[in-house]
Order: sequence, then C-alpha cells, then structure tokens
Amino acid sequence: MSISFRVRPRPTDPRGSASVLDPWRNIDWSLILTTFMLTIIGVFNIFSTTSPRLVLRGVDAYYFTQRQVIFLIAAAFAMFAVMFVGHDWMRSKAMWLYVPTTFSLLILFLWSYTSGETKLSFDLGVIAVQPAEIMKPVLGLVLAAWFAEAGGRVLPYDEFVRAMVLTGIPFVLILLQPDLGSAMTLAIGALGVFLMAGTQRRHFVGIFILTVLSFFASIWSGLVRDYQLNRFTALWNQNNTSDASLQSLVLQVRYAKRAVAAGGYFGKGYLQGDLTNGRFIPVQSTDFPFSAIGEQFGLVGCAIVIALFGFVLFRVWLVGRNANSPFGKFIAAGVFATLAWQVFQNIGMTLGITPVSGLPLPFISYGGSHLVAWGVMIGLVQSVEMRRSA
Amino acid sequence: MTFSSQQRRWSWLGGVAIALFVLLLSRVWFLQAVTQEETEQVIRAVQSRVVKLIPERGRIFDVNGRVIADNKRVLIAAIDRRIIAAPQDRLEMFERLSGPLNTPIERLYDRYEDKRYNQLTELPLAFDISEEQAAFILERIEDYPGVVIKEEWRRIYPYGALASHVVGFLGAIQKDTAAYYKSLGYDPNERVGLYGVELTYEVDLRGIPGFVRYEVDAVGRIKGVLERVESQPGRDLQLSIDLELQQFAEQALETQLLLRQRNEAPRMMLPGGIPDPQYEEVNYYKAPAGSVVVLNHRTGEVVAMASYPRFDTRWFTANVDSDKFAQVFPQTDDPDRSILVNRAISGRYNLGSSFKPFVGYAALNSGQLPGGADYTFDDRGTYRLVSIPKDRCDQGVKCVFRNAICRSTGAPCQYGKVNMESALAVSSDTFFYKIGEQILTERGYEPVLEREVRRFGFGSPTNIDLPFEFAGTIPNSAYKKYLASIGAIAEDAGRSYYVGDNVLFSIGQGLLSATPIQQVNAYAAIANGGTVFEPRVVRAVLSPGTRNRVSGLADLRTASVVRRVAQEADRRKIPMSPEVREPLIDGLRRVITGPGVDFDYYHKTTGENLFRNYTGVPIAGKTGTAQGFQNLPWNDSSAFGAFSLDGRTPYSVFAYLEKSGYGAVAAAPVAKCIFLALSGKWRMDDVIPADPLDTASTVAAAPSKLRNPLCLVSSALDARD
Repeated sequence: MSISFRVRPRPTDPRGSASVLDPWRNIDWSLILTTFMLTIIGVFNIFSTTSPRLVLRGVDAYYFTQRQVIFLIAAAFAMFAVMFVGHDWMRSKAMWLYVPTTFSLLILFLWSYTSGETKLSFDLGVIAVQPAEIMKPVLGLVLAAWFAEAGGRVLPYDEFVRAMVLTGIPFVLILLQPDLGSAMTLAIGALGVFLMAGTQRRHFVGIFILTVLSFFASIWSGLVRDYQLNRFTALWNQNNTSDASLQSLVLQVRYAKRAVAAGGYFGKGYLQGDLTNGRFIPVQSTDFPFSAIGEQFGLVGCAIVIALFGFVLFRVWLVGRNANSPFGKFIAAGVFATLAWQVFQNIGMTLGITPVSGLPLPFISYGGSHLVAWGVMIGLVQSVEMRRSA
Repeated sequence: MTFSSQQRRWSWLGGVAIALFVLLLSRVWFLQAVTQEETEQVIRAVQSRVVKLIPERGRIFDVNGRVIADNKRVLIAAIDRRIIAAPQDRLEMFERLSGPLNTPIERLYDRYEDKRYNQLTELPLAFDISEEQAAFILERIEDYPGVVIKEEWRRIYPYGALASHVVGFLGAIQKDTAAYYKSLGYDPNERVGLYGVELTYEVDLRGIPGFVRYEVDAVGRIKGVLERVESQPGRDLQLSIDLELQQFAEQALETQLLLRQRNEAPRMMLPGGIPDPQYEEVNYYKAPAGSVVVLNHRTGEVVAMASYPRFDTRWFTANVDSDKFAQVFPQTDDPDRSILVNRAISGRYNLGSSFKPFVGYAALNSGQLPGGADYTFDDRGTYRLVSIPKDRCDQGVKCVFRNAICRSTGAPCQYGKVNMESALAVSSDTFFYKIGEQILTERGYEPVLEREVRRFGFGSPTNIDLPFEFAGTIPNSAYKKYLASIGAIAEDAGRSYYVGDNVLFSIGQGLLSATPIQQVNAYAAIANGGTVFEPRVVRAVLSPGTRNRVSGLADLRTASVVRRVAQEADRRKIPMSPEVREPLIDGLRRVITGPGVDFDYYHKTTGENLFRNYTGVPIAGKTGTAQGFQNLPWNDSSAFGAFSLDGRTPYSVFAYLEKSGYGAVAAAPVAKCIFLALSGKWRMDDVIPADPLDTASTVAAAPSKLRNPLCLVSSALDARD
C-alpha cells in the first residue's frame, strides 16, 4: 500500500534551533482535545445513568458523577506525568512496573481461588483498584522495551518465546480471575506490539493455536466458570429468556439494544431516555454506557462518539507510523490495538454483536482504574510524538 | 525487518480497525434507523415492578459486646388488597386463610381495618409464620390468589426489660415526623426508632435499602429479574452501658422502692408536737417511681441508667391487640404511673439538699464568703432575713427560715458554729439560707447564684444522646413571669424575683428542678475537677456486620469503629480551683464518714449511720430530701448524689426515689449498693437472656429484684435530710 499521510512539519523557531527539540512544543493537541471531549461526554453520561438509581435509594444523585470527575483529574495528572518523564525514561523502569502489577494479579488470583468468590479489584475503602486495567499500559511498555532491545530486526525465535512468556503470565492470571474480556484485550494489545516488532508469520500461527488451545483447556478444566461461558452461549441465544442461567444476560443485552434502538436518528434528549431513567439496564454506567448515549442522542450522537474514537485511533496510528524509534513505534502499536479492540468489544456487546464482558468503554465508562490506565497510555503516545525529533 | 514491510504492517493494523468500526457503525445505523419503530412498540408493552429490599438494622451491644438488640428473619403472609376489595370475596378468603395461618377471622378483619398498615401495599395477615405454613400456602397458591409470602426483619431484644429505657423500641412512623423520614427516602410503612438510642441513632442503624426490579408483562406476571441491588445493613452500636451493672442498678432501685412502700411515713404534726387529726394515722410511702444513673466521670459515659417503672420492649413486637396494649400501658395523667418516661433524663425533680454542693461552689467561686472555706456561721436553727425591714416581716412577708426538726428536741436543729465543710456534712439549712440571701442582696440583685450553678449545666439540657430530655428549670424573674402567665403561680407572686426565692433556691427547693442526668453530671464535675460533659450512652458506632464471638456476644475486637461517639462528645471546663473544690470534697466525704458536729449533743452527719460498715471504695456524697405536695412527709422524695474518690473507679452516681422519704433512707442505700458492687464487694447477678414474654401478663415488665438486698439495709434511725 502506498497511501501516505502528510507528516506535520516541525515548526522552525526563527530565534534558533534549540526549541525545535523542546518536546513541549510538539504536543499533539488534537489528540488531547478529542480524548478530553470523550471524557466529558462520559461524565454527562454517567450522571444520566447513575442518578435515577441513586435517587431511588435516597442518596446523593451526584455521587458517582463527582467521583468520576475526581478520577478524571487523577487520569489527567497521570497523563501529564508520563508526558513529562517521557517514554524513554520509563523504558528503563518497565520491569519495576511489571513485576509488582503481576504480583498483585497473583494475589488476587490466590484470594479468589481460596475464598471461592470472584475478585477483580483491591478494595481500598474509598476506591477499588483493578490491577487488570493497570496491566494494559504496563505490558505494552514492557513488550515495547523488550522488542526495542532486539532492534527492529526480524524477531528470532528465543526473543519471541521470552516475549510470549512476559505476555502469558498476566494473561493467564487475568483469565483465571476470571475476566475473559480483560484478558482478551490484553492479548490483543500485545498482539499489536508483536505485529510491529516483526514477528514471523509462522509464529503468529503458533500464537493462534496456543490461544485456541488455552481457551478450550480453561473451559474443559473448569477454571473458566460457567457464567463466563454463558456469555458466549447467550450471544447465539438472544431470544431465549426461558433458560434461567441465560435469562439475566439475555435481558441485559436486550434492554441495551432496545435503548439504542429507541434513540432513533436524533435521540430522546439528555436525561429523557425512558429505559435509562427506568434503570432497565444493569451496570449501565460501567459496562453499557453506549446504550445511554444511543437512547439519549440517537444515531447522530453515536456516530459522533464513534468518529471521535476513530479520530483518536487515527492520531495514535500516525504517531506510531511516523515514530523514528522502534520503542516509540511499538508503544503506539500496543495502544492502538488495545483501544481499537476495547472500543469494538464494548460497543459491540451493547449492540449484541460481541459477547458480554465486564469491559469498560475507554474514556466514557465509570471507573478510576481504567481512566488512569488510559491517561497513562495516551501520555505514552504523546511522549513518543513529543520526542520524535530528538 | 525492512521499512516497507513495517509500513505494510501499519496499514494492515489500520485496515482491521477500520473494518471493525465500519461494522459498529452499520450495526448502530441498523438498530436506530431500521428497528426504531418496532422497538418503541415493544418498550411500551413492557412494564417493571420495583420491590424494595429493607436492610438488616444495625445491632446494639452493651460495652462488653452482649447483644441487646438483634434481628431475626421472619416470614409474613400478606394479600393483595384488590383481591379482597369486595366484602364477599374478603369473607371467603379470610375463612380459607384462617386455618392455615392459625389466626381467627376476627383478627384478620381487625388487620384489614387497621389504619396503621399502608393502604397501597399488600395487607399483612400473619407475622412470623412457620416454614411449613408458608409452604402449605405456596403449594396451593391457585387457591389463594393474591397471597404472597414475604421475608422481613424482626427486631428482637433478648434481655426484654433490661435497659429498655436506654435501648428504646421501633414503631410506625408518626405523623409529625412523616415528612422528615420521607425526605430521607423512607417508605411510609417502614418501622423507625421511636424511643431510646433506637431513635437517636436511627440514621446509623437503618442501613441503605436495596431493590429488585422485576420485568412484568401486561397482566402483571413476573417474567424475570431485571436488576437486583442488595441492601446494605445498618451500622452497629456499642453502648457504654455495662449490662451487668445496669441489671444490678435496676434491681437495687426496684427492690428499694418496694421496700419503701412498706414503710410508714412520719405523722403530720401540729405545733406543740400533737399529731394533726386532719390526716390518717398511718401513711405508707407511695414510692411509685425512681431513677439511678451511674456516670464515668472521667469519660462522660453513662455506665448504667435505670428508670422505674420499667417496661419490656418486646411488647411492641408481640402483636398483641390494642385492648391488651392499653391494659399493659394504661393511658394516664398521673405522672407517678406513666411508664414510657425515662425518668433519668425526663424526670422533673426537685433536688432538696442534694443541690447544696453547687450552692457551696457558687459561694466559694464567686468569693461570697469572707475567708472562703474558713468562714464560720453560728447556726441557731433559724435564719432571719436581714434585707427585709421588720415592718414588712410583721405584715406577713416570710422572713424567718428554719432548719429541719430534730426529733430529740422537737425543734429546729441547732448546729452551732459551722463552716462550709461541716455545713455540708450535717446539711445545715441556715448556713445556705444566709448564702442565698446575701449572694443576691450584696451583689446588687444580680443573678450570681444562677450564673454559677448554670456552669454545671443546670437549666439547660445536657444533650445526652437520648430523646425527650428535660432541660430543668432555674428560678429567676423570667421564669416566674412565664409561670404567672400560664397561671401556674399567682400573678402577684410572678411579679418579681424576691429574696425569699433565692433563699429557697439555695437549699434546692422552690422553683428549681433538674433531671438525674444533670445532677450526676454536676457531681461528676466536682469529682473530676471541673469537666462538664455532654454525657453519652453510646461509646461507638461500628461498621455493619460485627461478627459474634459466641451466640449473643459480639466480637468487639474485630469490629471496626466508624465514630467514637463518647470520645468525640463536647466537654467544657469550668473554673474549679483547689480552694473551691477541696472544702466541698471534704464536706461531702464527711457526709459519708462523719464526724458530725457537737452542739448541746452530738449531731450525726446524714450519711454516717448508713455508711458505718461500708467497705467499698472511698466516696463523697450528699443526701437530699425534696419536699412534695403540701410538704406532707409521705410526699418527700429522696435524693442522693455521690462520687468515688478512688481514681481506679471513676464513677459518679445519682439516685432519686420519688415519694420515698428522706435522702439517707431511700436513695442513699441504692447508691451504696452500687458502690459496693463497683468495688467488687457485692456480687452482681449474671446477665442472662430474659424468659419469653408472657403475653397474658398485665404488667409492663416482670419484677426484677436483688437476690441479696442486705446492702440496702441501714441502721439510720435519726435520718434528717
């Protein structure tokens, strides 16, 4: 393919050349603006989905909205911090992030395993930290650093295997939590890095076989519990409400789809969605935020949100394609693949074309861990762009 | 890898993303543009029903974790009102249900007509039915259309009447609070605390309700669960009450009241020592009610708070009919008989001489006495006001105030030269009369006495964490005007605040009134050197779900504290220099230990006889006898306040027994028993859960008496006030 996108020329400073190298002049403002717009849409959306429930229970209607704004500030802080220290600095510290995050996943797994209850997060009282979300930028960083050592050649077998082990440990731990959705997103993000790092075609075939095998092995061994499996079954049985084990899943998706469909071209208007106000869709603020957007803002609103995501992806893609260090390229590839997949998976499940998983919609869903994780990922991409000419 | 192959891979990646997004967009377009109409129709056909899930109420523990208020899940049979709207259907359904529910038909009709039940929700027919009864109905549900079996929480009080005035009870939301509870998100048919800490800590105890949303079809049949949000249980309470001491205090109070009812009051005498023929020859003390409070004067925590008459909290959940309830809790205007009054915080009590320590404080702290504690006064039994001219006295203004009558002489007692210490020890009235007059007349008629005793909290509520606290009254011109305006005293008397008012004020008589909690708090302030607490009966609010160590005993070591209520309560310091405090303490200690004073003959102190063989921790205290209606001897109420002088048992006690006689014979023995128990010298009964409530009983609480009442016995033959 020979499509070429114009690379933004670096501004030349008439006073001298030093400032061209100043990373802070090279921030991709359009990327910051679009992600900011998405988060603001998210905050308004959270109010519309959570306030009817809070009012019913007789507590503060702004409770979750306020918390989201606080998370947002934390995420922005994380993003600028990453932009400030730079991806190259973090490259040397990648293992320092990877080991404790993996360790916390291990603790969660052992906890769930011994107590028999599903546990996805550490409850710190005021907030709950979900290590699976934190793992996304961390793994991307580690893999990019690892492959950058290899120097962008065609990847030899032993390098490939070590990278597979690095990916496999958190992947399996998250899979066993069990959180299929997050595990899948993590794997696809990793796949993006693998792809750019020059993984050989036959190795990809290997990955594919391994994935299929581990999937069936985990089902067969019972490590993935029935209710996880039901999410796949439910996808093919969207009209079946008589099966008690599928009923809540089917109804959940059914109402999410109905909400989207009820929006029509222009939507019912903000806070006017009957199904959203009627609290018909469970976990709407975290898992099905898109249904509220669909109901309230219709096709126009949905198209705008999808277009905004498309634009963010396009900018990330550009940053990666134009990056002049392998490390930067790999980071951008990981972020690109993660974002594309997660957006597709979350919106897809709302629309009934992908299985239900507890995966947040980036920037829009309620939740602190994923917002901070996305802040870090966007910060990494920005850092790659900012230091391109260095 | 070559540059171009890398570029190819980038394009590949972008292409996949574009494909996924195109898929999303087309799906959104399909749903919103193509299926919108059809979906709208479906949505209109679907309804949902919300059922609220009432949370488990927080439990209440005593200071050691004994579970005083617990919850039990009960099954309730209820019926949809629409099914029984027609009289014929109602009769038929009630006839059919009466057997399985084991409830007479009349009872079901009573329920139907009872306005307490929300008219918009199902009518509850039978509470606490067995699993078998529920199964019987559910298996034949087609015979009982509209009948539902619901689960609900029932409050249970394992100890019945013990500490019931503190713990309180639940009931339907009252009319005057309906708007308030509605604003907090309560349903009109929810039960809320109406009394005790159940009321004051309602918001903590309640928890957060959850709900279930059912999808129902057009006919109202449940098709599935849409959403379920579990309720969050309420927070638990740890009281500062020690149930063992609480039980002992209640037993001591009740035993002593019953003993006093068997005692003859002195006869009413005419001048010259002749019995007044106007009155019956023999009058027994009525001893109808009373109260004891034990306060930790280092922390401000109430350790025991007894109020008699007692009541069994379980009457409120026993589902007895209204006639039975009226029999057990009679509607009465007689304050002696009212049961649902916590006299420890609502008792409007005259204090008598038990108030003298605070008048002593006022005199010393305001510098009223020349020489302070060394000031002496020659007590010759009477005190003549010096500020009122003789001619006015001759015109009938009361100018002469007397001491109590000494039995051996038949005349007002004479104590000779007394100072603050000995005046407190023998309770010389004239010493305090003089203070009462001069602290007014020599201070330009400023309310100095009022100002000083208000420091201890008299005249304003202590803000204890219990509802319906009485603020007490302090005699002053505003209060007299108010009383005259409502017609409680003559208009003439209400015109001004006179010297005589202040003189009566100085010995705790007249228009002064206070509650036992105010008194014990004031004694505590002397005991601890000037700290006035906002007392608390709750030590801490705990996170929901405190586990049990064994059945009936919560494991407080694993409990997590949300709020340290007693520790965070307000407290204030009042001036209490050693020159003020020590003479008061010396005087109060001498009340207990003697010696009295020698004048003509030996006058014992008021507590000397009672405490002669007392073996407990050293204490200091003051008796008081509050005159009642027409100053008749059998209307004398008995008061006693005391505190420990030992730092290891930092407790202050105040006991008040209505219409029971002199302070030293009725109230003081109760306090003595409590101090003996606190010193480990008297065995307290173990606390065991109460027997099941006897609904055939006609009294509000089963009697609870001391197993060994000998600690109440006194050899006080010559007991004045």
